[in-house]
Amino acid sequence: MSGMDRRSFLTTTAGTLAAFALSPEALPAAVRLGASASALPVAVIGVGRQGRLHLAELQRLSAARIVAICDNDSRRLSAGARRTQDAQTYESHTEMLEKARDVQAVFIATPTHTHRQIVQDCLAAGKHVYCETPLAHTIDDAAAIMRAARNAKSLFACGLEGRTNPIYQLARTFFRSDSVRDLIAMRGQSHQKNSWRVPSADPARDRETNWKLDDAVSIGLPGEVGTQQFDVFSWYTDRDPVAVRGSGAVRLYDDGRTIADTVHCDLVWEDGARLQYMATLGNSFEGRNEIFHGSNAAIKLAWNAGWMFKEADAPTQGWEVYANRQQFHNDEGITLIADATQLAAQGKLQEGVGLPDPPLYYCINSFLKSVIESQPIVTTAEMGYRATVIGILSHQAVVSGHEIKIDPQVLRGS
Amino acid sequence: MNARRRLIRLATFSMGTRFEFVLVGDDEVRLRAAGEQAIIEVEDLHARLSCFSRASIVSHLNRHGFPGPVAVDRETFDLLALARDVWCDSDGAFDITIAPLMHTLGFRKGGSLQLDGVHPIGMNLIELDDAACTMRFTQPGVAMDLGAIAKGYALDRAAEILREAGIDCALLHGGTSTVVAIGCPFESSGNGGWRVRVHDDVEPRDVILCDEAMSVSAPRGRVIERDGAAIGHVVDPRTKDAAVGAICAAVISSSAAVADAWSTALVVTGARPGAMPESIRSVMRIGTGWVEHFSDEHRAGTRMEAVA
Repeated sequence: MSGMDRRSFLTTTAGTLAAFALSPEALPAAVRLGASASALPVAVIGVGRQGRLHLAELQRLSAARIVAICDNDSRRLSAGARRTQDAQTYESHTEMLEKARDVQAVFIATPTHTHRQIVQDCLAAGKHVYCETPLAHTIDDAAAIMRAARNAKSLFACGLEGRTNPIYQLARTFFRSDSVRDLIAMRGQSHQKNSWRVPSADPARDRETNWKLDDAVSIGLPGEVGTQQFDVFSWYTDRDPVAVRGSGAVRLYDDGRTIADTVHCDLVWEDGARLQYMATLGNSFEGRNEIFHGSNAAIKLAWNAGWMFKEADAPTQGWEVYANRQQFHNDEGITLIADATQLAAQGKLQEGVGLPDPPLYYCINSFLKSVIESQPIVTTAEMGYRATVIGILSHQAVVSGHEIKIDPQVLRGS
Repeated sequence: MNARRRLIRLATFSMGTRFEFVLVGDDEVRLRAAGEQAIIEVEDLHARLSCFSRASIVSHLNRHGFPGPVAVDRETFDLLALARDVWCDSDGAFDITIAPLMHTLGFRKGGSLQLDGVHPIGMNLIELDDAACTMRFTQPGVAMDLGAIAKGYALDRAAEILREAGIDCALLHGGTSTVVAIGCPFESSGNGGWRVRVHDDVEPRDVILCDEAMSVSAPRGRVIERDGAAIGHVVDPRTKDAAVGAICAAVISSSAAVADAWSTALVVTGARPGAMPESIRSVMRIGTGWVEHFSDEHRAGTRMEAVA
């Protein structure tokens, strides 16, 4: 945030921040139906690992009822069906749209490069659509999805999970206040120990199954993983990066792949702020997180938890007295949790240092609230498009080894 | 072992323990890919079945089971039905509603169970509706913990994924107490399976496993001190006292979930209940000796040997 922007923001928020910190808003309630209403019939398209996570979260949300699932892989389809109560199974989304007329909302968790056609078909059929992020593997496809969403009579939301995450929402209020002050630098990482390769019983379908390793359609670690994280940095700073440099290599899984298993990206903002990003499939240390270094404090976000690390010369705020703290080697992190006051009153602050439900739960809940309670969409197609473009261009920077400019006009979709 | 066969090892921390998979085959890339899918399945099942996570399906059922009914996915429903069957056949010696008592005794810590008020125990307090695929608790305060069956179930699912991926030789274990053997690692040696040792201070035994699962329970596996006395972590749900049946029980079955549940039940009962299926083999240490129960049909297939 520029100095001018930050000051003007503080003028409007400083008076409320202390009160907010002492009495943070409670976690968002699960969407509930009126007594006379029946659960919203929904379908999940694509029941690989991500789709099965959708099934699990939807099962815990009584406002929705999974009536159909789709997958073109029979084994995944039957495994997915066992994770539902009574869902009908379909081998294609077109068959499902034709036969499962009662479906009102669909959750799309298919491979990234297949999203466009499915989104367009579902919106054309009048279904409300939740689509996983990244939206697409090309900018053209992402723009087509955004246009389809704009022109649709039904609702569209994308799976940018940071924006609906209560901890991320709370931490953003601190970031945009005097608690962090001037932004010095940003860091992000996604570390996991998993080759991304999936065994295929049918060799003829190996390329299709291992689409993340197919350089014709994959947008690599920056696209598939980084997109969600880059969006957090754009959302917090209220700006998008203007350029990206990247590099990558196959450091561990020397199995003939060309998609890098370890990447580094350097994203630059117009005011000179930089984000250093690393993603790897070869080591899981410290997992996935985003860090904002400010002149008063650093904020570390780790999807189901968040902390603020204060500088010694930063002013003390009253609410800190009640805050839970965790030690990280030489640093002490103040836990950022949305219902801290309530938990403290119950003597449960230590237990409640993490997010009670997975980030996906809040994103799906937010979408269902929009559909059922007519609340505004939090994760819009435009947000998904911009994040996807940044992910795609970051992947291109890794592949080319050159700096790539991020054109604001392209980000606007114009 | 064939010289060109490769061995890879994968592991994850889940369900409060370490799962380790050893896979043998010709294609290391395929082995790793299959093993990773199996690991992912274990981690997913941990997220679904752990009563320590508020976000799990089990915690969801514990919160809403009374008055219920609550819709359950078919997979979880079948697991609950299996738990009910073992409860029934073991005369209540295995019971997933013992969760609040285990927390009260201090064997479980944290988690999402609300431990205020009265917590009745008994699987008969869980009503399963097969046709509707729903469950409900018939009384308030009932809560379940699948800890004594989930580890075995996770291994069953992991083994299924490996077999689907064409893996024909592997050994999977969860916390070294429940193990699944796929195929045989030594094609030419004539040993006929994976050699797994059942620890015992006096008389350890080796069991040769091939395409089957084994689970071992022993009260001494974990103890707490209460009123100056050491109490083992297996509690008799019927008396609410520490189990005094068997010193150690090893159960061999085609299903790790079944073996997992029955090994707990046998430590409680100390003898095979009449309703225990013959196809499930068992070895119990009672007093100073081992009591084996292999049906004639299975006696030739499963071997148990004294350690030299």
